Amino acid sequence: MKFSDYIEQSFLNLRKKKLRTFLTTFGVVIGIGALVCMFAFGKGMQKNMTDSFNKLELFNYLGVFPRSKNGHSDQSPQDPNVQEEAEQQKGFLDDDFILELTKIEGVEWAFPEMRFPAMIRFRSDEEFSLIQVLPAKICQSGILDFRAGTFYTSDEENSLIISDSLLRRLEVKEPEEVVGDRIEVSTLAVDFSLANLPNILSFLGGEGLPLNRQTYTFIIAGVTKRMGMGGPTLMRSDICIPYGTSKRMKKIPLTNISDLFVSSDQSQGYPAAGLKLVSPEYIEPVRKRVKEMGFNTFSLIDQVEGINTVFIFVDLFLFAVGMIGIFVASLGIINTMVMSILERYKEIGVMKAVGASNKDVKKIFLFESGVIGFMGGVFGLALGWIVSIIINAITNYFAVRQGAPYMNYFSFPWWLCLGAIAFSILISLISGIYPTMRAAKVDPVVALRHD
Amino acid sequence: MNSDYFVETKDLTKVYSSGRTEVVALKDVNLSLREGRFQGITGPSGSGKSTLMNLLGGLDSPSSGIIKFQGRLISELDREELALYRRYQVGMIFQSFNLISSYTALENVAFPLLFAEVPKKERIERAVEILDLVGLYPRKDHRPSELSGGEQQRAAIARALINRPKLLLADEPTGNLDSKTSAQIVQTLAELNKNQDLTVIMISHEESLLAEYADNIIRLCDGKVVEQETVN
Repeated sequence: MKFSDYIEQSFLNLRKKKLRTFLTTFGVVIGIGALVCMFAFGKGMQKNMTDSFNKLELFNYLGVFPRSKNGHSDQSPQDPNVQEEAEQQKGFLDDDFILELTKIEGVEWAFPEMRFPAMIRFRSDEEFSLIQVLPAKICQSGILDFRAGTFYTSDEENSLIISDSLLRRLEVKEPEEVVGDRIEVSTLAVDFSLANLPNILSFLGGEGLPLNRQTYTFIIAGVTKRMGMGGPTLMRSDICIPYGTSKRMKKIPLTNISDLFVSSDQSQGYPAAGLKLVSPEYIEPVRKRVKEMGFNTFSLIDQVEGINTVFIFVDLFLFAVGMIGIFVASLGIINTMVMSILERYKEIGVMKAVGASNKDVKKIFLFESGVIGFMGGVFGLALGWIVSIIINAITNYFAVRQGAPYMNYFSFPWWLCLGAIAFSILISLISGIYPTMRAAKVDPVVALRHD
Repeated sequence: MNSDYFVETKDLTKVYSSGRTEVVALKDVNLSLREGRFQGITGPSGSGKSTLMNLLGGLDSPSSGIIKFQGRLISELDREELALYRRYQVGMIFQSFNLISSYTALENVAFPLLFAEVPKKERIERAVEILDLVGLYPRKDHRPSELSGGEQQRAAIARALINRPKLLLADEPTGNLDSKTSAQIVQTLAELNKNQDLTVIMISHEESLLAEYADNIIRLCDGKVVEQETVN
């Protein structure tokens, strides 16, 4: 029999039992739909994260950190000459060194990684936030996605850039309308006037710290779309201020309690510097050069492999859950095909009497299973897609109201679409193996006598 | 064995086993049939007629002995070769017609051509042609349930002949038909035998029908050939 004849016969035979075919196929549709939905969700999450990183050019980012004094580093240069040079060149992350970093081939910008905690007051509302010091040059590079207003043009301006998510927390309904408004930033600074004996005794008892609050007024220059992100990245704060202005502010540049344990020699200079590279291809050469200069590096690309591993486990988990539906659907296919063979017992005898080989009989029933799988795959994909649209719409409806940006939580790459159909056909063919073996074994003499 | 014979059997034996019980359906049957003849086989129920027909048609394999068709050993063919033998060399019709109930007469007749990989257009053309030959063309779009017994058997004959076989095996083709229709069917087979040079082997326990149309009649009893008679 020709391939087209098998397909035609399969559709003809399945059409004879419309309801049973529909119910069996519907089982596959639900199984594949659930599996596709889950996979698309996993892929959507992965894509959103990768896209966000790409959009923020975080893969172009290389963090530079001083090595600890005891030389503890898990990636020390192996070459003794390089090590010696590194020891000689080991220094602090100060402005001169940052200027040196900008001269390395492939480095677009170098900037100090400075963040400090502050209380933000706008109108009558207060919110805590980390403030990112971002030089005007970097700010103008297009790295920020503005919703309203624009970047500051000088490092000495009393302007800042604020994220719309922080404004939302500050009860601002229309973030576009606040550009040009005043906003207060309060920092904590060490106050030596508090260092009298009773206070010192109190500090020693751990009851307080000699800190007071300094308040500065800024003009809102621009409002960006959500900036806050976790991890040692450029965009983890909700406010950016110019570098020069930050220098004039009294503050404790601590973002983490562990910063208190940094040794005194390391506390000189900036705690870290960020390098924006021309492209991710420069990560390795720049990293090598920075290490030769006696510093450690951090790149988000290092983390991507680990993140991908996590997503593989997530995918496997979702696959395992989705396979429950597929397993149930495959039982339905086996049942349908066995029933079909019992009902068409005599027909199988006729097939053999008129010259069908065992292989022909097997293929006829296997194609019928395959057609159920194909239809289940196509309609399952459609169902998964429709369900994902509905879930996406509902999730975004609530998420956007909570201040989160609109996101596509599901991703349907082409290989997932084709893979779902192929997988559905494969599962159906596997389910059809036992019934087709039974069909092929039918004795034509017995079958022709069968009533 | 003489290879001039169209169909030959030598010491053909078929034993059916059911647990410890063995039933001898055929015992040492020796037949020599010439091409182009109308051969009748008769005998009482349980005499082994249908078993002999199934063995000659390649639907079953003998327990011992050999079957030759045009000098070729059929009894030693494997399953795939037997399928090809049934597809191209032999056509079979049965007492209960064995048409596929969900297919029309045309689809039933064209069905064997699927396995011969004949293109769809040619399948339809050949089925129409053969339905016309057996006088069933006007009923080609009817399903078996809409046809009379005689018409169903004509459709079955058309299906058996669609692959242009050299041998037609008819297992009690008139068993479910009235006497008038039975005569018409046997006459059709006799005409095909004469006009198409088709060798026909027909089982029937209506000896009068065989006596009228068959060239030879073989009588079976308890799985053995008890008599061979030339009648026409």
